[in-house]
Amino acid sequence: MAFSIRASWRENYKQWLAARIPAQNRSTLHRRNIYILPTANGMMYLFAAGLVFVAAINYAVSLAFGLAFLMVSVFILAILHTFNNLNQLILLGKFSPAVYCEEQAAFKVELSRLPAKKHEAIELSFEQGLVTHADLIDQDRVVVDVFVKADRRGEFRAPFLRITTYFPLGLCRAWSFVDLDMYCLVYPKPVVFSMNQFNTGSSGNDDSAIIKDGSEDYYGLREYVPGDSLRQVAWKNLARGQSMHVKQLVDYVDSKIWLDWDMFYGFSTEERLSRLCYCVLKLSKSNNAFGLKLPGVEIAPDTGPDHKIKLLRTLALFGG
Amino acid sequence: MDINYQIPRSALIWVLVSVVIVLIPQTIRMPIWVTVIAAICILWRLLISQGKLNYPGRKIRIVVVLFTLIFSISQIRSIGIGLDSAVSLLALGFVFKLIEMRYKRDIYVVLSLCFVMSMVSFLYSQGIVTSAYIAMTVIIILCAMIACNRSSLILEAESTVKLAMKITFQALPLTIVLFMLFPRIAPLWAVPTQNNASGTGVSDEMSPGDISQLVRTSGLAFRVQFEEEVSLPNELLYWRGLVLDDYDGETWRRSRSRSAYGNAAAFGNFRFNWEGRMETNGIPLRYNVIMEPTQQPWIYGLHLAEPISSGIFLSRNFEMFNNGLISQRLSYDVASYIENQTDLFLTSSPRRNNIEIPAQGNERSLQFARELRAAVDTDREYALAVLNYFATNQYFYTLNPGLLGENRIDDFLFNTMEGFCEHYASAFAYLMRAVDIPARVVVGYQGAEYNPFENYMMVYQYNAHAWNEVWLEGEGWVRFDPTGAVSPTRIELGAEAALRDDPAFLDDFLFTAMRLGGMGWINTLRLRFDALEYEWNRRVVNYNEEVQFELLEELIGDVTESKAVLFLLIATALVMLGVGVAVIRVDRSAQRDPVVNLYVSIGKELEKIDLPRKRGEGPLHYRDRVIAERPELAEIMSELTELYVQLSYRSRTVDNLQRNQTRQLKAMLNQLRFKLSPLAKISGKV
Repeated sequence: MAFSIRASWRENYKQWLAARIPAQNRSTLHRRNIYILPTANGMMYLFAAGLVFVAAINYAVSLAFGLAFLMVSVFILAILHTFNNLNQLILLGKFSPAVYCEEQAAFKVELSRLPAKKHEAIELSFEQGLVTHADLIDQDRVVVDVFVKADRRGEFRAPFLRITTYFPLGLCRAWSFVDLDMYCLVYPKPVVFSMNQFNTGSSGNDDSAIIKDGSEDYYGLREYVPGDSLRQVAWKNLARGQSMHVKQLVDYVDSKIWLDWDMFYGFSTEERLSRLCYCVLKLSKSNNAFGLKLPGVEIAPDTGPDHKIKLLRTLALFGG
Repeated sequence: MDINYQIPRSALIWVLVSVVIVLIPQTIRMPIWVTVIAAICILWRLLISQGKLNYPGRKIRIVVVLFTLIFSISQIRSIGIGLDSAVSLLALGFVFKLIEMRYKRDIYVVLSLCFVMSMVSFLYSQGIVTSAYIAMTVIIILCAMIACNRSSLILEAESTVKLAMKITFQALPLTIVLFMLFPRIAPLWAVPTQNNASGTGVSDEMSPGDISQLVRTSGLAFRVQFEEEVSLPNELLYWRGLVLDDYDGETWRRSRSRSAYGNAAAFGNFRFNWEGRMETNGIPLRYNVIMEPTQQPWIYGLHLAEPISSGIFLSRNFEMFNNGLISQRLSYDVASYIENQTDLFLTSSPRRNNIEIPAQGNERSLQFARELRAAVDTDREYALAVLNYFATNQYFYTLNPGLLGENRIDDFLFNTMEGFCEHYASAFAYLMRAVDIPARVVVGYQGAEYNPFENYMMVYQYNAHAWNEVWLEGEGWVRFDPTGAVSPTRIELGAEAALRDDPAFLDDFLFTAMRLGGMGWINTLRLRFDALEYEWNRRVVNYNEEVQFELLEELIGDVTESKAVLFLLIATALVMLGVGVAVIRVDRSAQRDPVVNLYVSIGKELEKIDLPRKRGEGPLHYRDRVIAERPELAEIMSELTELYVQLSYRSRTVDNLQRNQTRQLKAMLNQLRFKLSPLAKISGKV
């Protein structure tokens, strides 16, 4: 019950934030989007100031009053300085590299400052993400990675970026939320499986050429299995007194491999995509040309890194 | 996330420094072994941070808790629940927390306690040195806080210290406003200010040797400032403390028992009708006294003092008492009717008290007194004859008199013939009482040092003195000082002059500034520092409800509660606005590049020879124009412009080359200035 109230409150808060925070690639922090509250440490400090004040009253010690007031004034200065540490900080969302689903997406954020300003001990994080620290003291700009777990395939929109600081005294915490309108492409999570389960060729060879990474004109031997074509028996080896082997060639397989949606009949969409993703990664390490067939999409076989990315992209955005 | 809560190494060092700085002033008040434990804990924490020792285990922690418990019980049993035991306990808890300090939260517990501990110092002293020390402590604690929050990569302490000082100074205006305007509240509950220190200064008993002991110390007793410019000669500066009228043959005492002083209820006894016993028709001298803490209730003033400040009472012998022991510096205002007389008529009971002497002993003195009294007509003449006897015979004024035997007065008068003021006062009073003249001993201070820098007087412990008051028919109580008869220098020039050559004088303080009184600049420095201390006391330490009320009255007229609060709020808001703007404002001039600034000042230099840079003129055009007008500047202008253009198109990050180039540009600007100065003069003449 309590939890649900909390959750709904949280939901409302998020909506309120969303309505308040414009999505823009470049954001400057200023008094309208910086929030500030004392920390628990700050409360403790104020409690100590209160103790000093009570002692000053009871012992009628003038300078203890002075100390109590100095402590309170320093606290107020801490509010100003902490605020000032975020004030006028400029944030810019940069291109963020694609990741596989369930990995940490690294959103690149550039922080820059006005020439007269310094920003120290800035913490950047997404909700439930890791905290990244940044300083802007000597440099004018700095690019940092802010990580968050990419939990969905497709175009992953960065949640609100939270910028927090406790600097200089740690008595207050100033924070701000910005939406830098950052996206990151999330490929399906590759799922490893044994590729022996299917054949891409039509040779009747139960071994798959796909596994045999390496040169295009692969050449090797394997034990003869009854039923193998006699044409492929390595007679020369046999003549040398070795056991019966069969010559194995990759070239005989059709070098244009098709990764087909239907190869994973019986799997769910995401499971199929994950496996296809794995295939793409595997195959791209060989020099074989391969293509992709998805319902409604067909990409002709090709090789090279661009091709790989094109395929991964297609997988990432499929159905979305 | 976890890394956030760890303690950076540099922060830890700052925290330990803060703890040490905070504890140092307390070490004199804490039992020595508390200090030792504190040192061990600090060292332990340092070794933990270096990985050489571990955090205390559970067993050690239990032992520590038990130990502290036993300690506090034993402290309370031995010295009571006083400030000193509380300080030791606080210090112990504080250093124990230190060794189990793991996270940032623990640091803040320790640092908050640091503030409370430094406040404790103010309970003992509010002097300028203490205050400066606490200010330094605050800055160091802030350094620790900053180091806690900044990236651990920033190791150099300089920027941390700078920032801490900046914050402190920015906090000062607000502190001052709050200090002056925040309503001072009366104590919520009575706190026993028993801090186990024995009383200092003049005591309410006088045995031979007591005052000479006091005179050896160089501490300050009180400072006095007169309302009007008066220059009282030293021989009039008798700061009356207590009247001792009970003599047992060895010791002079106040007839009241000592225990009654600290008890505020007992002061009821002091409030009696004394108006009939004194004349107050003269013009009083008004002055303010700031007294150092003595842990005694009595205070000092010139003859016939009438307290003006509240909380001060007059006794039947016209002594003044504060309501409570003086454990803090005390400031009070007094009016003294120095020419007026008291007790023109002495009733029988005080007369009886003031002629009592022990029934036995000192036969020779009695004999001497009777003979001398018979030789003169009046009591006054008799008193003067005794003074004359002291002056004309070989009596010595010394801090180290010979020991006295059973019949003290006899022994002193006719054997040793050397003594300090208490010997003379004691003998004089005895000789008076021997012939039934009421006489008593007064203890207090005599003389003062004038501080010209703030126009006030300083009275030191070595000014401690004892003299007599003799009741004469028609004159009341009259002051006689037998010491003056023996050593006129003591009274006219002060204790320093009279005792300068006495090796015992101030021998506890071989290197005190007093000793160096002959060295002009050190003496000036001492007086200046004391003047500063005095002002500090008057304006800051003694700022209380009354002064605040007066200030408010001056500022806003009629003081009502709502008006005062409103005034406080407005003043605070104004100051906060000012400070806020100063902190948050983005400085536009600093925003400009230093290189651009340099180039702008080059244009300003050339303005002197009527060649200012036009608005929007490019550096290359400007160069050409200047060279066309002033060919002699061709070389320097081209070099300058070349450098500037190079620097303008550099990347934003500053490297060494750019730093060099900027420096070069600066040098050239100076060169240009040098070249231009004769030119400018010429063009000025033209």
